[in-house]
Amino acid sequence: MDFALTDEQREIRQAARDHLERHYPPLRVCALAEGPGGSEAGAWPELIRQGWLDDDLGMVELTLLAEESGRCLHPTPWWTTVALAAPYARAAGEQLTVPATFADGGGTVRPARSPQGWTLTGQVAAVPQAGAVRCLVVRADTDQGPAVFACDTGSAGLVVAELSTLDTLRRMARVRCDGTPARLLVGPDRAAEAARTARLRGGVLLAAEAVGVAAGALDMAVAHARQREQFGRPIGSFQAVAHQLTEAYVDTESARSLAYRAAWLVQHEPEAGAQAVDEAVLVARSAAVRTCETAIQITGGMGVTWEYPLHRWLRRALWLEAYPGFGDDPHDRVAERLLRRADPDEITPTAPDGR
Amino acid sequence: MNLHDDPAEAAFRAELRDWLRSRLPDDDPSRTWSTAELREWSRDLSAAGYAGITWPREYGGRGLSAAYQAIFVEETARAGAPDHINIIGMNMVGPTLIAHGTDEQKARYLPGILSGRTLFCQGFSEPEAGSDLAAVRTSARRAEPDGYLLDGEKVWSSYAHLADHCLLLARTGPAEPKHQGLTCFLLDMRAPGVKVSPLRQLNGDTDFNQIILTDARVDDADVVGEVGKGWSVALSTLAHERGTFGITLTARLVAQFDRLLRLVREVGAEDDPAVRRELAVLHARLQGLRYTGYRSLAALRRSGEPGAESSILKLEWSLLHQRVCALALRLQGPAALLDGGDAAWHGYWQRQRLRSRANTIEGGTSEILRGIVAERVLGLPRSRQ
Ligand SMILES: Cc1cc2nc3c(=O)[nH]c(=O)nc-3n(C[C@H](O)[C@H](O)[C@H](O)COP(=O)(O)OP(=O)(O)OC[C@H]3O[C@@H](n4cnc5c(N)ncnc54)[C@H](O)[C@@H]3O)c2cc1C
Repeated sequence: MDFALTDEQREIRQAARDHLERHYPPLRVCALAEGPGGSEAGAWPELIRQGWLDDDLGMVELTLLAEESGRCLHPTPWWTTVALAAPYARAAGEQLTVPATFADGGGTVRPARSPQGWTLTGQVAAVPQAGAVRCLVVRADTDQGPAVFACDTGSAGLVVAELSTLDTLRRMARVRCDGTPARLLVGPDRAAEAARTARLRGGVLLAAEAVGVAAGALDMAVAHARQREQFGRPIGSFQAVAHQLTEAYVDTESARSLAYRAAWLVQHEPEAGAQAVDEAVLVARSAAVRTCETAIQITGGMGVTWEYPLHRWLRRALWLEAYPGFGDDPHDRVAERLLRRADPDEITPTAPDGR
Repeated sequence: MNLHDDPAEAAFRAELRDWLRSRLPDDDPSRTWSTAELREWSRDLSAAGYAGITWPREYGGRGLSAAYQAIFVEETARAGAPDHINIIGMNMVGPTLIAHGTDEQKARYLPGILSGRTLFCQGFSEPEAGSDLAAVRTSARRAEPDGYLLDGEKVWSSYAHLADHCLLLARTGPAEPKHQGLTCFLLDMRAPGVKVSPLRQLNGDTDFNQIILTDARVDDADVVGEVGKGWSVALSTLAHERGTFGITLTARLVAQFDRLLRLVREVGAEDDPAVRRELAVLHARLQGLRYTGYRSLAALRRSGEPGAESSILKLEWSLLHQRVCALALRLQGPAALLDGGDAAWHGYWQRQRLRSRANTIEGGTSEILRGIVAERVLGLPRSRQ
């Protein structure tokens, strides 16, 4: 067992952090959050140059990028592209290099087949970042069962209407299509398997982003607690303050351990990864929300102003908590696996197999 | 990164599992071990090479990395094996002597610690010096030409009633600043002037003790480290107690959680939504604790220091164990009112429920540990004046 990042992984993380800190200090992120689209349109070529969409990035590497993205609320559609859309492209043996997202049109979008190819008709009520991407990956039910399609957001009959969204850096949009030409990515024969893999990869990257959100909020709160003085002392010297920050640190580190472990398992033993992903999502989501709330408490009245950036982190944490994309609440799945395993000794959590 | 045992680790684990299976047919939590049985068990562990796994070979250890120790604690916890009777000697005193002891002390004590022949206790806390350990008052007066006389009272000293020797913190320089006048000694518990009286814990156990010292003699040869440098020796002992020992605690908690699942099935609470939710949260957090421990082990292997994240192990462990025990009693409903032979599992969970309250106190209270994380890891300004 060697549960540590390699030197190369450390370098990837550092390069990501340098890049993001240079481009997206909190004030800039806040400005983008209030601007049109809520993300930076021109950033994509640079991300490609930096290798953020490389085909050969493993799950641990992607996890580090997602974590760093969460830390500064990286305001591009990179996360929806790699966490939501790319797993389906991957299942089809393709590489996604344009900004993309995923729309679950199960039950609401009808595919039709003509000699010219497939078209999609219907609507999806809320699609993350649909207004900021070029490619939509759409799940839709064919007569043979669910399948996955890809279409260009500029295609005929496609209308994207942005909705008012809690996290304006990751806006939801309603997508309507009416005879919109689409390309079949994954047919009904392999769609279930692709969806399973997508859930695992997306879940890991959701947990990873949540870890970053928690870590970013914690950093801000700790910096504030060191420097803000009341009663003639830095507030970080008051135990009531320090101990709350320590709790947030405990939550964040546990979540980080689980996210890295889930990433490694999904990469190396996807069949064993489901429980690990659910655990990571469960702990990381709550770490993100709780840490952002603690951070706001520690920054006092300033922390609850519109201008102070922390509410953006809380909004993202709440977004991650509510996003339904990876199946229902993980709590029950985790409990079910614990209680229903046939032989209680079979996958005892002590088993040295990373499960 | 690799989450699996490497081939050598896997072989070690398999061998250990076989050995444990031959010694302990099943995990019976209600089994109580007599001191004689524990001594025999500890002797066997040692004879089989499972004591001092990480100790250097020259001191009778196996010179293996902490990853092997982690395998050992996982497998023994899984098998429901009891502690080595010399848990304090093995985990705290031995490493402290290896780091600070003289060659003569090492030669004299380390083999006996490993074999379980020489049992140790730790005499740090006093009635007026618990969290504020540097306030110890037990005095060590110079007894020319070559020793000291100890006077004072030590409390909560675990296993002192069984111990042959005690690693003890006393004040050699009463006029010096608090942290500078301290010295660590190895005290012979059979020496005249050493009186041990059991203290009864809230669950009825009598594992810890009061030690009254009246002109108890120690020699110069029994000083650990330097005279006046006892604080740094004590800190290194505490670092072992609070640091990677967390991995041992975590492994036990994983086994404890398996017992909790067994109880859930026994009482038929598998479908209770509140129970399911609490199980999921506890299990996920426990895995978080476990993998944080592995992270800290990997850091230890690379840099010789456990990573900053190791500081959370004991803290998080104690809170989770308390929640596991609380759920176990809630699951029993009104039957939780009973105890001992009339209760489920012979009152195992009743004992654990009560005993677990000490988890957030022993080895450094949660408040003290949070202060350490805040200061050393988060870099917040010191809160104590
Ligand atoms: C089961 C058990 C076994 C033990 N075994 C041993 C042993 O073998 N050897 C040994 O030497 N000792 C042993 N101890 C003693 C243990 O180390 C002390 O109990 C512990 O350090 C706390 O000290 P105290 O009991 O004096 O409590 P206090 O220090 O009086 O603390 C009481 C309360 O005040 C809080 N508090 C104190 N100072 C601060 C502060 N600065 N900021 C915020 N809160 C504070 C504490 O967190 C706690 O909640 C054992 C204790 C237990 C329970």
